Amino acid sequence: MLNNKQLWDNCLVEVESSISKANFSTWFKNTHILKEESGTIFISVPNEFVKDWLINKYHKLIMKTFREFSDYIKNIEYVVSKQEIKTRSLSFPNKNEFTTNRELPLQDLYINKEDNLNPRYLFDSFIVGSFNELAYAAAQAIVNKKSITYNPFFVYGGTGLGKTHLIQAIGNKIKDKVKETGVVKKIKYLTLEKFSIDYVNSVQNNKTNDFKEKYRGYDVLIMDDIQFISKKEKTQEELFHLFNSLYEDNKQMIFSSDKHPNYIPNLEERLKSRFSASMIIDITTPDYESRLAIIKSKLRDINFLLPEDIVDYLAFSIQGNIRELEGSLNSVICQTQLKNRDLSINEIKGLIKNNIKPKKNISIKDIVKVVSDFYSINESSIYEKTRRKEIVKTRQIIMYLLREDFSISYPLIGQKLGGKDHTTVIHSCLKIKKDLKNSNLLNQELDQIRALFSI
Amino acid sequence: MKLECSVEKIKKALSQVNRITGKNLTLPILSSVLIIASKKLFKLRATNLSLGIEIEIPANIEKEGISVIKGDLLNNIFLNIYNDIKVSIEVIKDNLYIKTKNNKIFIKNYPNEDFPTIPIISGESFTIKSTDLIEGIKSVYYSASLSDIKPEISSIYIYPEENNLVFVATDSFRLAEKKIKTKKTEDFTGVIIPFKNTVEILKLFNETEGEIKVCFNKNQISFSHNGIYLTSKLIDGIFPDYKQIIPKNKNTEAITLKQDLLNALKLSNIFADKFNQINLNINPKKNIFELTSKNIDVGENKTKIEANTKGDDININFNHKYLLDCFQSIYQDSVSLQFDQENKPIIIRGARDNSFTYLIMPMNK
Repeated sequence: MLNNKQLWDNCLVEVESSISKANFSTWFKNTHILKEESGTIFISVPNEFVKDWLINKYHKLIMKTFREFSDYIKNIEYVVSKQEIKTRSLSFPNKNEFTTNRELPLQDLYINKEDNLNPRYLFDSFIVGSFNELAYAAAQAIVNKKSITYNPFFVYGGTGLGKTHLIQAIGNKIKDKVKETGVVKKIKYLTLEKFSIDYVNSVQNNKTNDFKEKYRGYDVLIMDDIQFISKKEKTQEELFHLFNSLYEDNKQMIFSSDKHPNYIPNLEERLKSRFSASMIIDITTPDYESRLAIIKSKLRDINFLLPEDIVDYLAFSIQGNIRELEGSLNSVICQTQLKNRDLSINEIKGLIKNNIKPKKNISIKDIVKVVSDFYSINESSIYEKTRRKEIVKTRQIIMYLLREDFSISYPLIGQKLGGKDHTTVIHSCLKIKKDLKNSNLLNQELDQIRALFSI
Repeated sequence: MKLECSVEKIKKALSQVNRITGKNLTLPILSSVLIIASKKLFKLRATNLSLGIEIEIPANIEKEGISVIKGDLLNNIFLNIYNDIKVSIEVIKDNLYIKTKNNKIFIKNYPNEDFPTIPIISGESFTIKSTDLIEGIKSVYYSASLSDIKPEISSIYIYPEENNLVFVATDSFRLAEKKIKTKKTEDFTGVIIPFKNTVEILKLFNETEGEIKVCFNKNQISFSHNGIYLTSKLIDGIFPDYKQIIPKNKNTEAITLKQDLLNALKLSNIFADKFNQINLNINPKKNIFELTSKNIDVGENKTKIEANTKGDDININFNHKYLLDCFQSIYQDSVSLQFDQENKPIIIRGARDNSFTYLIMPMNK
């Protein structure tokens, strides 16, 4: 059997011989067969004018010639489709005019308006390592619709670790599948902030019903940065109802956040429990091997070569998030291009010294604030002489962190936290250490708190 | 075909239809006009395969029929018929006879079966006041890119936003945006109409009054009003997300009389170099608003303008042609220029008017 291209070429030869040259080149230029489906041939045409005229004038002729080559064709559909962009052989005629004029920075903004997805985020460019393989596997399962147990899908992790990349890649992949299978799915990616603004606008304009209808119509809803929902009570309520309605209809929901849902402050209990019922997966910071792979893949993307030892050094020394890794890589590349030679390790050390995590310059006060905020406790009560259980626990965690992560002496810790004796501090640290061995939850909590420091 | 109609009506319709005939295309028949006499109506049709137009004019039809005539030829004939009120048109065998009281003309008739149909659009539709449509297009079309390399920006982008219909065009060096208030909110994702076609829309509907019906689908848009039907292809692409580049901060603002600025620019024009570059210096503390242009071959010019300035000092270079262009869309007597930083676009608006926004990218010094 002929393939589509051969079929159309053969057909065109026949058509060409039976109509005038002018007519042929006007109406049949830039046409091709898009696909063939159960006896129907879909022909791509450049615009409506051509479509109209082919239907009105040449349909019979095309049908007849098709029949000569194959008899399974029963019907022809004409589809207006986007033309491939011509090769850019055209150069600007007046180059001088453009050299001093700066352009409006309009370029790279090619985010699809309907679903809001950025086509740059794909699975192809997503590096999988031990730190995110679970999340990746779950994402693949969602795309392939192996089971619906991954609904909703909740992914959390620190900033710059690829959450947005992962969830947008899911959206893009589902969109691709739509093209293959023809099953239309309405996909929407948005940040929680956008959702909240949308909601407020709809309330202002008295269009809450339109708002509800709009969001309930999506088949796949991807929402980024859920943590910003804290304290937005009405948005929480609206999200709760949306959640229920989408869940009942078995629509896929995907959320991302920088914390585990249980630790998003001021989150209503009912939402918390709903999030907790979802497939919750965290992404941690990449290990050395993954960082190496990420750097190599970046270099491949931009077609740039760096010596092995430099790549190795970068992967080894930058232990933070992937965004920082990219930033350092970019500055190394930029310097290499500027100096037109490979840089020495010492030069690189100088370049990236700001990106290597030093011990943070955080005051004890800051730490107290972060931790007490985390447990939703009034900051000042930490310094008071109260023995309420939740405050004691928080205070102990603060002491533990100050000792373990910031190497502050026991007496100083005691003095700063409301004049406690240094033996109290030692006891607290030991107690937390012991608890850590037994309680997984506490472990997680500490990870979360530490993540907050590194922001 | 045999019919009788008013000379004036057919003159006007022909001049409109003839503009849209296809010039230098591979298919010669497209440079012709198709005339149809059917029932009570006399129709003229032309297309260049990017635009299509059909105009109906009332006529007294005795015999129905279809004929194809060279557009330029027919237009020239009617342009030179004076002092006659009625004309009769008749096809006898292969010839077309045009008779008025004083003239008797016959011309060759082409076969009509190769003349294409023009698409009739069914899809989403709304109505808009013709003056609104014209104002929207007119306010921005000069900013569209003239090159065909990026079809999305050699176009005008039209989309609804709250109670406005927004018209945008940019050639990536400057950008014009006009918001037109509409009665009700239309909900569609936006259409991208090729800039060349919007020029024809402007010419065609410039003097009409009343409501224009707009219909569109993914690839095609149509405008119909009072017997005129115009259809254009749409660009299947995504218009750049221009909102992000409009600076949010204004560190410096200057308000000046439009006429003063215009005069100063015209003077600066004499001294501008081949890049049309002029320099604008604003110093709010000393209340200075000064334009400088320099040309090694001619000389140098400095013009001070009275302006109400506030904010930080700024010194910025830009192409004065771009600034001159936008005055046609500003109807207020005074204009406001806003600056963020020296490498960020300049925002120009009519004073106290937020419907029109114009952005110019500064030049490297």
